[in-house]
Amino acid sequence: MIIKAAALGCALLLSKLEGQEVAPQPGTQQVGESATDNSTEQGRQGEGQPQTSSPTRSGSDLTGLLTPEEPRPSLRYDQPILCTRLPPTQEVPSGEYRMQCDPVTRRCLIAPSHELDGDGVEIDRPLLRTSDCERAEASANVRVQEGYRFVPAIAESPPGWYRDEQGRVMQFNFDLHRRIYLGGAWAPLFRGGEGLTRDRVRVDFGIQAEIPGGDEDQRLNRITLLETELYLGEPSLDIALLRYDFSVERKVPLFRITTFFGEPRRFDIGLNLGAWMEALHQETIERGDSELSLLTWAAVHGTLDLWHSQDLVSYVRLRAGPAIERDRTHGLNTLVPTAALEGDLTLDMDGFHHLFFAAEGEKVLLADTVEGRPQSPERLKIRAGYELILLAINDQPVSLVVDGRGTWRNDIPRVAAKWEWSANAGLRVSLWAPARRNAPLASAR
Amino acid sequence: MLSLGLAALLFALPPGTEGAAASEPPRTDDCAAMDEAGEPFPICFDPGNALLLGTGVQVRDGLALPTLQAGILLRTERTSKSKGLLWFNTHRILVTEATPGTARRGLTTTLYEGTFRRHLEEGFILIPTSRPIRIPFPFDVTLAVRAGHLERRVWEGPGLTVETGRAALLLDPIRSVSGRLWLGFGPAASHSLRRAPDGQLTHELSPFTSALLDTGYETADGWWTVRASALAGWINSFAGERRFRVRADASVERILFALNDQPLWLQLHGSHAYKDVGLARRTEWTAGARLLVRTFSSL
Repeated sequence: MIIKAAALGCALLLSKLEGQEVAPQPGTQQVGESATDNSTEQGRQGEGQPQTSSPTRSGSDLTGLLTPEEPRPSLRYDQPILCTRLPPTQEVPSGEYRMQCDPVTRRCLIAPSHELDGDGVEIDRPLLRTSDCERAEASANVRVQEGYRFVPAIAESPPGWYRDEQGRVMQFNFDLHRRIYLGGAWAPLFRGGEGLTRDRVRVDFGIQAEIPGGDEDQRLNRITLLETELYLGEPSLDIALLRYDFSVERKVPLFRITTFFGEPRRFDIGLNLGAWMEALHQETIERGDSELSLLTWAAVHGTLDLWHSQDLVSYVRLRAGPAIERDRTHGLNTLVPTAALEGDLTLDMDGFHHLFFAAEGEKVLLADTVEGRPQSPERLKIRAGYELILLAINDQPVSLVVDGRGTWRNDIPRVAAKWEWSANAGLRVSLWAPARRNAPLASAR
Repeated sequence: MLSLGLAALLFALPPGTEGAAASEPPRTDDCAAMDEAGEPFPICFDPGNALLLGTGVQVRDGLALPTLQAGILLRTERTSKSKGLLWFNTHRILVTEATPGTARRGLTTTLYEGTFRRHLEEGFILIPTSRPIRIPFPFDVTLAVRAGHLERRVWEGPGLTVETGRAALLLDPIRSVSGRLWLGFGPAASHSLRRAPDGQLTHELSPFTSALLDTGYETADGWWTVRASALAGWINSFAGERRFRVRADASVERILFALNDQPLWLQLHGSHAYKDVGLARRTEWTAGARLLVRTFSSL
């Protein structure tokens, strides 16, 4: 319906362009007519111009210049755009259009500068999130004289945004590494030999940001604030005030190995070493009659990227380093070396699919003897999950998060060390979540 | 007590703006009237942008109690850089009500309370198919947060209640293009700490098992305001207990006069709590009247 209406609009538009005998509507400006009577000027210019191999069409022979295309093309956000006025039509009474012309194909894409309603008729709301345009009243007539075709089109939209045929713009690309999220999940827990705890839920919250940087090397800084997971049922709380880490793509390789068997060849080996830091991480866990409250004052780890994507957003890496931890339950200060293999992968260009996993081992050192547990307890944690954007409400994504976790620990006194397994499934609402930095243009998609 | 409080409020008012009028930004004609000497004076006020001072009396459990109020109110409107759309935000900082005297001495204060409403002229749900589908969604989305809400009732003995944090996602069907009209409802999550007189600490959590309603309307000139909010739902203790609780309050205000361009409102208010208030999780009704000065609220 929209297409038909717009096609009809363009037909009407061009029929009005055919001759000056059509009476202009009050208060509107016609192609070929400007405040200084451009039609006369252009006619004179046409007389003086040399003939080209492509014959110049006269202003009265425009039939056939309108060439609708399916699917309807879009103006490109990264190319110059003219704002111009064409004869008003029933569908576009203002006559205001955005126009982008290609001198190679001699084709001009034209799109109304206001949104259309369901019947394809212009409404008062101007298009949102368009690029700057240059105002050019006489340009359309010049293009007609030069024999350009006019193609009804959809106005441009910025990278990561999609505009429909009514001109309404919506975000179609989300950066879930820059967001404020709030979510909940069902999180049943299975403890070896103790059956399944079904009435267990999780509430989670966090603020994530990514900041690219680096002068000599490409670097991506990641900051996470107040990452919180609170479980009810078998209660536990995990909250980290601040986490910071960075990935880097170094331009200068760490090792250059030259071989001398056959032709001398050189192999560059680069190690992309980064860092990971954490401050004020509180973990509280209750199992049976025992409770353990751990506060990590600070942790500083080194990271080695085994692989990362070109934009550094996705990675698989090794991480290792110490943490200073306060066992608040037993009044102990301990040193906790940690080693981890972890990954975070964004699987598609629009940021809808995310895969994450981690396997982490910790050993508690320098602890005093606590009855009911070993001198140097250990913790093993594994986790793998998937996050998928299901839909977006007013440009804010709502995602499905499913993950599985396993934990083995012997640091809770009088609680036998066993593997605990939990499967989590829930929803997350993400605020902010702008388009990804490498988001493509919709017209290029 | 009431007259004393009012007198203190009036003395606390800043001096007139006679000399400062020239340095003020130009005001719209609608919000400035002229006196006989040709000097303009404000007649429009923004109740959401002010330093709040108030005094009043409330009736609770058959007792008439004096009250004092104070707080910082801010209202902002901004265009999002990432989305390019309007946000209507309110911030309420350290809004406090004290009940002096000996019969029911107490204090209720909130460190921070804010609402962030994202306004879209035409809300929608995007279904991310290869050709995206747009389904009408006639709501603005509001994030309502509150942090550090403390209730201390001296007359109940030692102990206090602290709501450490509350977050709610609200849907607003009115979608007003002004920050002065709103109606949001939606699920809320909260965490509270209750320290009993014997020192025992109880954690309570409502993991989106409560619903929050928040609505209000202020006339463009700020002379009338009506507000109501309600929170109802289940709250769980870490020990596994679950209980249903409700809190609701409503108020209506009318500006009375302005002294030295600082307006004074009369507020009539009422509230109800079901099995939630105080250390004993009491059910109670409260009604009262307040005189509120919102300094620096003239437009």
